[in-house]
Amino acid sequence: MHDLFYAGLVGFSLLVTVQSAHTLFLTLYTWDRPPTEARAPERFLPPRLSFTVMLPARHEEAVIATTIERVVRANYPANLIQVLVVCSVDDDGTIAKAEEKITELRREGYGNVSVVVFHDNPINKPHGLNAALPQATNDVVTIFDAEDDIHPDIFNVVNTVMETEHVKVVQGGVQLMNFDSTWFSALNVLEYFFWFKSRLHYFARQGAITLGGNTVFFDRALLVRIGGWDETNLTEDADIGLRLSGTREKIRVVYDDRYVTREETPPTVTQFIKQRTRWCQGFIQTMHKGTWKGLPTRKQRLLAFYTLAFPIFQALLGIYFLFSLLTMLSLKTPVQVALISYLPVVMLIAHFLVSVVGLREFTAAHGLKMTRADVVRLAVAWLPYQLMLAYAAGRAVVRQMRGINNWEKTAHVGAHRGPSSEPTENVKEMVDDAA
Amino acid sequence: MTPRDPAIARRGAAAGTVTPLGRATPAASRLLGAASAAQRSLGRWGILALAFALVTGLLTHGYHLFSYPLYSTDEGIYVERAWAVIREDRLSPVTYFYDHAPGGWLMLAAWEFLLPKHFDLFGNPVNSGRVLMLLAHLASVFFLFEIARKLSGGLLAPVIATFLFNFSPLGVYYQRMVLLDNLMVVGVLLSLYLLLLSRARLFAGSWSGLAFGISVITKENAIFFAPTIIYLLSRRTKGDPSHRFAMTLWLFAAGMSMLAYFLYATLKGELFPPQMDFNLAHQPQGHVSLLYELWYQLHRNQGTLFNHGSYLYTMWLPKDRYLLAAGLAAMLVCLYLGWRDKERNLGFLVAGTLALEIAFYLARGSVILDFYVIPLIPMFALCIALVADRALKSLPGPAARVAVTVVPALAAALLLLPSGGYLLTHDPQTGKLKPNDVYYLPLTYLQQEQIAWIQAHIPPTARIVSDDDIWVALHEGHPTYPYDESHFEAASDPAVRDKVFGGNWQNIDYIVLSNGMKQAMILNNTGGQENYILNTLNNHSTKVWQASRGKVSLAIYKVQK
Repeated sequence: MHDLFYAGLVGFSLLVTVQSAHTLFLTLYTWDRPPTEARAPERFLPPRLSFTVMLPARHEEAVIATTIERVVRANYPANLIQVLVVCSVDDDGTIAKAEEKITELRREGYGNVSVVVFHDNPINKPHGLNAALPQATNDVVTIFDAEDDIHPDIFNVVNTVMETEHVKVVQGGVQLMNFDSTWFSALNVLEYFFWFKSRLHYFARQGAITLGGNTVFFDRALLVRIGGWDETNLTEDADIGLRLSGTREKIRVVYDDRYVTREETPPTVTQFIKQRTRWCQGFIQTMHKGTWKGLPTRKQRLLAFYTLAFPIFQALLGIYFLFSLLTMLSLKTPVQVALISYLPVVMLIAHFLVSVVGLREFTAAHGLKMTRADVVRLAVAWLPYQLMLAYAAGRAVVRQMRGINNWEKTAHVGAHRGPSSEPTENVKEMVDDAA
Repeated sequence: MTPRDPAIARRGAAAGTVTPLGRATPAASRLLGAASAAQRSLGRWGILALAFALVTGLLTHGYHLFSYPLYSTDEGIYVERAWAVIREDRLSPVTYFYDHAPGGWLMLAAWEFLLPKHFDLFGNPVNSGRVLMLLAHLASVFFLFEIARKLSGGLLAPVIATFLFNFSPLGVYYQRMVLLDNLMVVGVLLSLYLLLLSRARLFAGSWSGLAFGISVITKENAIFFAPTIIYLLSRRTKGDPSHRFAMTLWLFAAGMSMLAYFLYATLKGELFPPQMDFNLAHQPQGHVSLLYELWYQLHRNQGTLFNHGSYLYTMWLPKDRYLLAAGLAAMLVCLYLGWRDKERNLGFLVAGTLALEIAFYLARGSVILDFYVIPLIPMFALCIALVADRALKSLPGPAARVAVTVVPALAAALLLLPSGGYLLTHDPQTGKLKPNDVYYLPLTYLQQEQIAWIQAHIPPTARIVSDDDIWVALHEGHPTYPYDESHFEAASDPAVRDKVFGGNWQNIDYIVLSNGMKQAMILNNTGGQENYILNTLNNHSTKVWQASRGKVSLAIYKVQK
């Protein structure tokens, strides 16, 4: 019986170690590749492609006007940009703020912004996008979230990439910025940093990519041809990425620190868990849907399955972590077994060190300052954050098993746009409402 | 004029300027000047040169492998520990006291485990270990060839380096032996090779760190190479976005391998000595301790390497004075050139400091065993090769053409002239020309005869004090001798001395003397722990078997009770 237990412990420790090593590989993939793989073009072609920008928004009164403003004033001819603010009919506040901004812009001569209001259910992002798609008239359709700070040259970047590389789908970089707002924000920032800067490049190269929810650019005809977004899916972005991969469509990922779309971390633990639960559940949904089975090669299918099933593994990791803490304190095992069971701890240390360096790289790239206190906070927050991720993953698994599929919206406070990271009273109310 | 100037680049290339080896980062591009030969594939001549190096390595080290040199005590110890890993699921058949980290014999155990008949496949159990050493040597030849090629940007340096590495009698003698140092050298060279890969990126650097960490837990003195390897990594990634990650992961991979050793001791409850007693005058009783052993090793002192009678004069110089003298001079030249222009002469700096680090280790005045010279051999060979390469490339045309014939002539002289001694020597007794002992003199048959006599005449239940060189043969052979113990353990390990022999000569049935074992017992008797065995040997035993050849003498004594 003991031998069986030890064999199980060794087996699971090795499995976790291999998985963790693979994650580390994905995390650092970009730094092992030539930099040209990730960089944006140094020179832009003259603007030729026209863009339809979709801004799906729900209860985004606090940030929607600024976002519209940034898109309209991008370094790209206004006549080549169409902006569609997408709202459900019940969201009077956001609609009013958007209309107010549109009126203001019209006075300045910008007539390329309009609001698309949808009246039917479900009230979620993919449904809104599908509702707006028939209104899109330009060559390329892109999505930005309501709180996004886009780079003024992002359209020039994509225009150049699409024209020179003849690709029909481009995923731009998205980066959370407020790394010092909350105890967990640095770790959240790093997740984005490594995901967009590194992992997505690997996925794109392998031809099995789960796209991001914004700063993603589609050839409109292609988008219409594949039928838009899956409205029943909580991560419609991941789903559409895999559907496109299944058609062997080449997808280019551009992560260049200079051109990332800036976002903010969720303001509270509750918001973070709800956002992460939605993502995890969306991945599980996509896995059950079986889109990944349509990928051309076994390696692609395996990679996609691994990515989509990861939340389940992550939930198990949380249980394993608690279990290993218990065994570490109470169980006397043979030395060889104990040594092997320490391997996941070694990998955990590796991930932590990579995160510290990653934070240094992130802050250096964006002209921010990293202090020793940030490293200490990273160290202190490290394990609680992993447990929080595991909890969210477990919550997603439970929700999926119980058939709960409602969209838990993330509140946005604009922490990436100003020095203050504390939600205002109004925003706090909105957060509670959204929750 | 900047380093980007094509004229400088051409001059640098013509003069054999060290190439920057790898991805053309901005800093690397400056160093590169012209397209680097190091970045090119081997080519037909390169493949031929490498094949020549590997085949000569196979021949010089493989021929006569099982016959010479005599199986040494240290070889026996490591084979014995590998045996314990496979047969007894522990790191030593007796108390493991952290004298060395176990990486080396764990590798040896893995090798033995994979062999169809394990220890018996090649006859004497030490032979299977020697076959692993042969493979390790071939791996080292490959890595050394590639390191020299990438550091020099041509084929001359790798050919010279591997020639010396393969043919030096000093190298052949020690590299055939089952010693941790030989495995450590493979790890260090692999670590360097990975950093010099032309497509070396982040993960290659991590593997380099892991290889280095494993080499340290194979033989601890590898740590002396750390400064140069870390410096090389830093130079290779300088100006590259992956620089910080590469440095961190290298250190992590290397550090974690080493920490595993400390974790093992911690899990065994053997990290600290009992009552935190670090008193070197009296070894703490109760259990062994890693930190105590490290503390003890750090404070060991055995005079200087330059005493007459030291291994430098008695073993190393007689075996290959040319390599040692030329290597020392080349190391100094490398250090001078490398230090003078770190940017352009990176290869010289790397080779020179690698040699300096291990030379410092040997010369610093601690305990030195004869085979500790092993890591110095490839580093000296590398220094000589790089200096010769630079010298030849800097000669004007006619002189260079002459030099091209001088180099093979020197090699031939080393190989064929008795004064060179690499292949042919004069017999000291008869004065006749003969092959070097490493290809000619059979010795291990004496130990085979000793084992055969024991198996034919001594009952398996006998309590035997012997040496480690035949320990596995007696424990793995037919019949087996479970009560055979090494005299070191019989003298020093309470688990053997007190529980098996009770410290009483009457509990010993036979004493099997290896070559020089009696002298070793006397040297090991500073605390009187060998007294009861020496007393048995001198006063209560009769010689029942003896064999000798030249200065080698083996014997078996039966204890008269």
